[in-house]
Amino acid sequence: MAAPDLGFDPVRMLTALNDAGVRFVLIGGMAAILHGDAGVTVDLDVVPERSPENLERLATALRSIDARVRAADVPEGLAFDCSAGFFGNLAEDAILNLSTVAGELDLAFRPSGTGGYADLQRGAVEIEAPEGVRVLIASLADVIRSKEAANREKDRLALPRLRRLHDRTRRN
Amino acid sequence: MAITPLIREARLRAGLTQAELAQRAGVAASTVGRIEAGLRSPSTDLAERLVRAAGFEIRVGLGEPDPATDAIFERTLRLTPAERLAGAARAARFALQGRRALNAAKRGRP
Repeated sequence: MAAPDLGFDPVRMLTALNDAGVRFVLIGGMAAILHGDAGVTVDLDVVPERSPENLERLATALRSIDARVRAADVPEGLAFDCSAGFFGNLAEDAILNLSTVAGELDLAFRPSGTGGYADLQRGAVEIEAPEGVRVLIASLADVIRSKEAANREKDRLALPRLRRLHDRTRRN
Repeated sequence: MAITPLIREARLRAGLTQAELAQRAGVAASTVGRIEAGLRSPSTDLAERLVRAAGFEIRVGLGEPDPATDAIFERTLRLTPAERLAGAARAARFALQGRRALNAAKRGRP
């Protein structure tokens, strides 16, 4: 039985990752918003580092927020083997769409157009978010690069806005 | 594709009666009435003609299914409006404070 769904709570999700010591980079819509985008998102996109130790920490964090695989016809989500072994066996370019008690969390070890954690970490900036949560935020250029490669409908809608924001912020 | 509501929307946005739209498009007034009442499915050509007569155009493109987003909708719809608002407020608070922290961190970069 899944824990009650209390809606989107990014701090709670990030705290779970922090508390377990997970190394990860935040990318996607929320990273873009932190860079100044005026878009809206209802999930977090996270790129974890893929060492066995980090996958253990990731599994611990995700279990603590009752992560389940998102499915349209099963609103409470599908239980899965939330273990380092499971994550280690995922294809490099796999994307795992998860539902947790703190909202939606998308995991990708190598988002489209990027080389994964090591690649994104180079341009990322670490911040201390509310409640002392420390997060590495992917650069806006990397967010754009991944959205260009993913080329989903929602990415194509966001890209003109993100490119303008990027141009604007580069002038500072 | 739900094209019929577009015809009604175009007509109402143009401030036209069914008879006025029919006259502009060169069709019988009953044609518009039957389409809007759901008694007749217009061909694509007729729908385009009616929408154009109201001063608009229909834009069509190919979209991709997005099951991950559909699943989010299903979950979000299970929340009360108050819970959705609370989630949006938490996200906004995080975004605001995170943005300040990111700006400060960027300024402090070599």
